[in-house]
Parts: sequence; structure tokens; C-alpha cells
Amino acid sequence: MNISAREIQKTYGKTTVLNQVSITCQAGEVVGLLGLNGAGKSTLFKILMGLVSPDHGEVVTSNPHKKQLGGIIEKPALYEYLNARDNLRIFAEIQGAASDSEALNAGLRRVGLDVHREDKVGNYSMGMKQRLAIAIALLNDPPFLVLDEPFSGLDPMGVIRLRNLILELAKEKGIGVLVSSHLVDEMIRTCDRIYVINRGEIIREDSPRVLVDQATRSYVLTGESLDQSEVLKGSGAHFQGNSARITDPHPNIGALLKELGAEGTTLYSCVPETDIKMLLHAGND
Amino acid sequence: MQGMTNAIIRAEWFKLFRQSRTWYALGALLLLQVVLLLNAWYQGGSILDMLLDNLKQSFHFQGELLNGHLLVYIVLNTMWFHLPLILMIVVSGMLTTEAETGTLRTVMMTGISKRRYIASKFRVAISFTALTVVLVALTSGSLSYLFFGTGDLFVFHGALNFFESPDAFFRLGMAFIAGIFSMVFFSVSSLLLAVIFRETVKTWIVAAFFLIVSNLLLQMQIGQGWTRKLFFANLNDTWQLFFEYHINWAEIGVSLLILTIYIAAIVVAGIWWFDKKDIA
Repeated sequence: MNISAREIQKTYGKTTVLNQVSITCQAGEVVGLLGLNGAGKSTLFKILMGLVSPDHGEVVTSNPHKKQLGGIIEKPALYEYLNARDNLRIFAEIQGAASDSEALNAGLRRVGLDVHREDKVGNYSMGMKQRLAIAIALLNDPPFLVLDEPFSGLDPMGVIRLRNLILELAKEKGIGVLVSSHLVDEMIRTCDRIYVINRGEIIREDSPRVLVDQATRSYVLTGESLDQSEVLKGSGAHFQGNSARITDPHPNIGALLKELGAEGTTLYSCVPETDIKMLLHAGND
Repeated sequence: MQGMTNAIIRAEWFKLFRQSRTWYALGALLLLQVVLLLNAWYQGGSILDMLLDNLKQSFHFQGELLNGHLLVYIVLNTMWFHLPLILMIVVSGMLTTEAETGTLRTVMMTGISKRRYIASKFRVAISFTALTVVLVALTSGSLSYLFFGTGDLFVFHGALNFFESPDAFFRLGMAFIAGIFSMVFFSVSSLLLAVIFRETVKTWIVAAFFLIVSNLLLQMQIGQGWTRKLFFANLNDTWQLFFEYHINWAEIGVSLLILTIYIAAIVVAGIWWFDKKDIA
């Protein structure tokens, strides 16, 4: 089962927002759409969700379902004056999904929300709103989920929880998830496959591993007494406290880590620092 | 399909009465009536005495002239501006708030029909408007008759007309029923404006402007013969026809029928426009 957008074209006035954009997502796959703000991500997702009509092109699904797609566009939009249960109940009723107490509890638990919480959604954190919006998107069990900038506004713990939820939905429930973001790191950690969109055009489609190679500006290592390491001193690293930043744009990080191991240096982590602009430039080259 | 429409309508009622704005609006209407009654309590008697001093010497009036009927008639006159304005604010907010907060987008992503959704909003708007007018009639009647009792009603409509108490009660009731049509006309107009503009403040400004212009056009009585009868602005005071000495049922019936056609046309235009436009 898959969902595809084929040769989507959308123009507002004289501005071409999407130009011959084609993407596809399989069931159980997490597909990313990576691009700067204004690149056309939200417009493409709105077209996928049927909110906006394309000037040209089509959205095709291989196996029609009662509700093909669930999603969140731009931000989780909820009735802030209602509690989570009433929000879920209203959205369930209007689309003919089960809205009895048992079904609502199951929906809330599915996304890790407290079923006993009765206060207004307006009091919720952004992460909890995201989870409730996902619970609403999952009503009627759509085979695909569209999440537009889901990591925006979340604290680090919220990002981790949301990422785990997305991976659980894809890998355990077999839901195909389309995620858009301008955060390269999060996309690399979350997605199986990533499209890069720039100025309304898909400029590349790669695996996260390839994008890590091409978008990494530096690596940050944390460990013990890194400033004493002869290997790191030789690599031109900049030291600060327990961390060292290697700014060589194309370090052979695997070999470097092996050398540090052989030297006996204790490492806690090695985190790539990515820059989306490097992908955009690479795509244009 | 009907079950889904009913579910949407239930959800609309639920949302409407869970928003503080709705209760503020209904509270404002009640407060307005209290203010009118207090004003009548303190000043009404002396003003009436001054106005009717000469007439009282020539005619016999049953009961106090400052009575519940007169006060209900004064409340009825809020249908010129106050009542439609408040109704337009609440009804247009049913859509503009959802458009601004993004919940409209969330609703449309559930896969429900755009036509069914907006048609349900129009149905709830019409029902809410009718209920509000009935509520105003009941509260104004209760308060006015409780504190001021009954008696003959005198009103100036082309000429000074006097109605005995039972007749006055009947005419006031019928005027409220006819007034429902005018209020529904303004309510559905505001929802159409909300469909077009999607922004709360912009919609309120245009709706208030529309109401003011409608009242001005009504004063001008534009048109001749049938064109005059067909012009929407001239239909909005149909409820006043119940205060002419002889009730012209045929004229009232035709006016309300034409107003109903206007209402239906506005609803159809609103559904068509909403269905045509993208959800931003």
C-alpha cells in the first residue's frame, strides 16, 4: 500500500509554490520532507490532505480506505476551551468513529496521554497538544499520517517522545508517516527516506546516512580529558570543557573514533552538527 | 449520511455553548432588558404623562400606560440594531474562530464533506437565532409583566395606535415571531461574511457596516411598487406591521416569504463559496 503525489504544481499569483513535485510513501515507512521555511512543505501537505487543490498533478493511493490520511498541518489546532476527551469525542463523532468512553480512553492511551486529566487543552504543553492532535488524526485508523513540522516548539524530551511515537506507529502499527521539518538532525533520526525540497522543487531524495555525510558541518565529541588526546590535537579540534568540536567538513569520523579507542580515550557521545543549507547547495551543484 | 450530519450539528451546539462568548452575548441581551426596565422605572412615567396629558383628557385608558406591554414593545425595538448585532457577532464567530485557530483545518482533515459541515453551521445558526429571539421574548415578557403589569398598549406607527391588553399581547407575540425572520436574515448574512473573510475582526466590521447600511436603506424606503417590496432592506421591519391598526396578513405573509427566499439564497451562496475555497 502506498500514497503518492505526482507532478504537483501550485501557483499563487505569480509565485510558483510547487513545481512538478512528486513524492511517495509506503505503509510502515517514515518519509521526510526537508526544507527551509517557505520551501513549499506545508502547501504540499495541504494538497495531500485535500485542503488545497493543486493546479496540476494528482494524489494517488493504491488501496482506498475510509479515511486515507490523518494529519497535523503547521500546528496542533484544537478546541482549547474543551478538555482532551471532549476534543477527541467531537472529532470522533463528526467522522463516524467510535466515541464511547472505552474508545476515547484507548485513543488517549495510544499517544500516551492521561485519561483522567479533565482540564482544558489550553493548559497543555505543546508536546501534549501534538500527541492529542495525533490521536485525533488516528481516528478511523488511516493507513497514512501527515505531520507538518511536528518537532517545532517542543522541548528536548518532547521531541524524543514524539519521535518514539512516530517510530512506534510506523514500525509496530504499519502506518506510513510523512514528516516535514527544517531540522536535519531530527529528520535523520526519524526517517527511513528523505526528500529535500527547495523553492518548490524536490532537489534530492536520499537515505539519512547519505544526508548525514553531506549535511554535517562538524562533529561534537564528549568524553573524559579530551584535551589530553594526541589524536584530537592532531585533528584540529576545538576544546571546551568535556567536549571537542571537529570542524573539518569531511572528517573520516569512523577512523577517528577507532584511533581514539586505540589511544584509550573515553568517549560518551559523538554528535554530528548538520546544516540544511549544505544540502540545498549540494543539490543545486 | 443523515447520522453524520446530526453528529456535526450536535457538535456545533456543544461547541457554541461551551464558549464563553455565547454566554456573554446572552448575558448582554438580558442586561440590556434590565437597563431598559430600570430606565422606564425611573423616567418612563413622567415622560408618558408629559406626552399623553392631552390625550388622557379626551380618552379613557385601561390600566397604567407605562405597563408590561409597552416595555416588551420597547425591548422588541432592540431588533433594529442591538439584537442583530449581537447575533451577528456570535454566529460569525462560529466560523471565524475556527478559521483563525486552525480547528477548521483539523475538522476538514477528518475527511468530512465541506458542504455538509458548513450547511450544518447554517442550520445551527438559524436555530440559535430563533431560540435567542424566543428567549428575549420570554425574558422581556416575564420581567415586564412581573414588575409593570398589563394594560393598554399605545404605539406610534404612522399614527398613534392603541390596543387593548389581550390584543396587544397577541400582536407582540406575532411581532417576535416575524422578527425571527429578520434576525435569521442578519445571522446567515454574517455567516456568509465569515465564509468570505475568515477573520473575526474584519467580519465584525463588515457585518456591523452591513447592519447600519441596511437600517439606512430601510429609512430611505428605496424602490416603487414591487421593487420596493422585493428590496431586502425594506423587508426587515415586517414585524412592525403588527402595530398598524388593521393587521395586513397578506402583506406580512408575502414579506416573510420573500425574506425566506433571501435567507435561502444567502445559505446557498455560503455553502457554494465555502466549498469552492481552499482551506488555508
